[in-house]
Amino acid sequence: MKVYRFAILSFAHIHAWSYARVLKELPNAELVAIYDDNPERLAKAAEIYKVDKKYSDYYKLLEKEDIDAVIVASENAKHHDLVIAAAEHGKHIICEKPLATTLKDADEMVEAAKKHGVKLQTAFVMRYHETTVEVKRLIDRGEIGEILVITTTNHGKYPGLWFADPKLAGGGAVMDHTVHTADLMRWYTGDEAETVYAKIGVNIRPELPSEDNALILLKFRKGVLGSIDCSWSRPDNWPIWGDVYLGIFGTEGYILVDAFRSCITLASKRETLKWVYFGPDCDKEMIRDFIKCIEEDKEPRASGWDGRQALEIALAAYESHKKGEPVKLPLSY
Amino acid sequence: MLSFILLNAGIFTGRMGKIKVAVIGCGFIATAEHLPSFKQLEDVEITAVVDIIEERARKAAETFKVSKWYTDYTKVIEMKDIDVVDVCTPTYTHCEITVAALKSGKHVVCEKPIALKLKEADEMINTAKKEGLKFMVAHCLRFWPEYVRVKDLVESGAIGEPRIARAYRQSSFPAWAPWHKKLEMGGGVFIDMSIHDVDFLRWVLGEVEEVYAQGGVLLYKDSTAPDYVHALLKFKSGAIAYVEGSWIMPEGFPFTTYLEIAGTKGLLTVDNHYTASLKVFKKNSCADYTPQTEDAYFLELKHFIECVKEDKEPLVTGEEAKKTLEVVLAALKSLKEGRPVKLPLSEEVIP
Repeated sequence: MKVYRFAILSFAHIHAWSYARVLKELPNAELVAIYDDNPERLAKAAEIYKVDKKYSDYYKLLEKEDIDAVIVASENAKHHDLVIAAAEHGKHIICEKPLATTLKDADEMVEAAKKHGVKLQTAFVMRYHETTVEVKRLIDRGEIGEILVITTTNHGKYPGLWFADPKLAGGGAVMDHTVHTADLMRWYTGDEAETVYAKIGVNIRPELPSEDNALILLKFRKGVLGSIDCSWSRPDNWPIWGDVYLGIFGTEGYILVDAFRSCITLASKRETLKWVYFGPDCDKEMIRDFIKCIEEDKEPRASGWDGRQALEIALAAYESHKKGEPVKLPLSY
Repeated sequence: MLSFILLNAGIFTGRMGKIKVAVIGCGFIATAEHLPSFKQLEDVEITAVVDIIEERARKAAETFKVSKWYTDYTKVIEMKDIDVVDVCTPTYTHCEITVAALKSGKHVVCEKPIALKLKEADEMINTAKKEGLKFMVAHCLRFWPEYVRVKDLVESGAIGEPRIARAYRQSSFPAWAPWHKKLEMGGGVFIDMSIHDVDFLRWVLGEVEEVYAQGGVLLYKDSTAPDYVHALLKFKSGAIAYVEGSWIMPEGFPFTTYLEIAGTKGLLTVDNHYTASLKVFKKNSCADYTPQTEDAYFLELKHFIECVKEDKEPLVTGEEAKKTLEVVLAALKSLKEGRPVKLPLSEEVIP
């Protein structure tokens, strides 16, 4: 069994820590080296995951280390440079979502991966969550007939850190939480969005420099309607981090998904009421599948292009809000 | 005018104590909710029931022990000893019946929506004013115990300033009322059903400034009225809301409602399946609800009777109902035109 050698490029995104855990757990993966531009974070990650090879210069890491693949989990705006460098060094890449903060960046990333013959996978973990994968099977089997509408939410708490910093994140809740369910809609319908309308609300947390709540309505080319609530509308003491909720209306039936609902209820002296998750480990499934794609030389289930297309929907939402009217896709830049 | 109203009110309470009610329209809402609620009210006597379908009128009279039943509502209009007319007919008939009842000196409680045309709503409002009579539109959510609780919580500052809301209302197609398939009779799912959520959101969040909607006739192609609509509402306060109305749920789908409001200090959610204290399972069906001796319909009609007896302004005036109607009509206009629509409306949406 070949063991795939990974580096994690930046632990800025909270998911990086889970990916590191998965790399430790998977028998055919190994976390060889890490990079971070924040020395404290670098030291902390190195200690937790017992990684000797730690770099504050990603170029050096890519030059020196014998690795097969990287996971890019930096701040959104920094994805571009890390992904391009990794591609140039012939490394396969998983990039955290949103793929980038501009379409130009996203296109260059997709192009670089193609040019250098490496896999570029967007970390759309919901394409690897057993519940939402089952939904894909049900839809493809025709269990609910033709899809008419997909109503979605990806609520969350405010993630803190740099997530509301427009320079690093490219925006707030719209940038962070639109793309997961936008991607699921594209995956389920096999279609692209045609118009996007969005309203950004007045902030729940007025102190944040970016939006924390917004609503989006979409229309797909073949007529399917969609909606996204991407808001960080869950208070800090909500019993779970947030949700991925889908209502899929078909001509022959209806599917209701609350992907992270599989919650055990817990209240204790230490905690107020909490919902403890026990469902599928989609981060693990995603990395497992990524390795399979490298081995079998297949296009990842959630590709760089998919990341680009979902980003376009988020960007269109900002544009629609600014213009006060629906925006037609594709966007130009 | 004022003395006339007072005198009028005095006569009602002094004369017999009991308010005499006629229910026009003996379809679902009348037989399932209004008639049982009136039966439960001690100071009410149901004097007559009317339905254009003879069988329905007779059966309702029998079930609720009402001495008079008619197939022509004008019979009730002519009766001198009726104090209150309850209009439970299809929406497109609301204006004609309400105006006739008011003109003959009867107070009117009318099922939602008030009407389908703004000028009809105006006529109803103006007639009530001119006649000095009580007129209420039965927006039951304003009496719905969990929704009233939400309103109280929001007003008490439990979630701070409201910022973003979601509301769903989903059922299979209301096949028991075929007029729902006609745009000019019922207006479709958003006008008929989402009007509940829109009215409630207006009550809690204030006036709506702009509406954008998508949807239409998605499943029932023999219909001219939308069976699925979802809309984004922008309120004057800056709050935004997502409102979804669906009649395209599979047959047998349990009626589902959901509401959440997030504010600067917290979040409230109400899911009717989650809040239900009772679940009843039968072959191929499951119903869940929270039984209450004083349910929303009882409280709503009790309130109206009180308004009549004590000369008080009803909670849902014609003006309020018209403002709510404007929002749902704006949604209809938006989905036709594919662009956001600002309020107030300057013209009719349903011809």
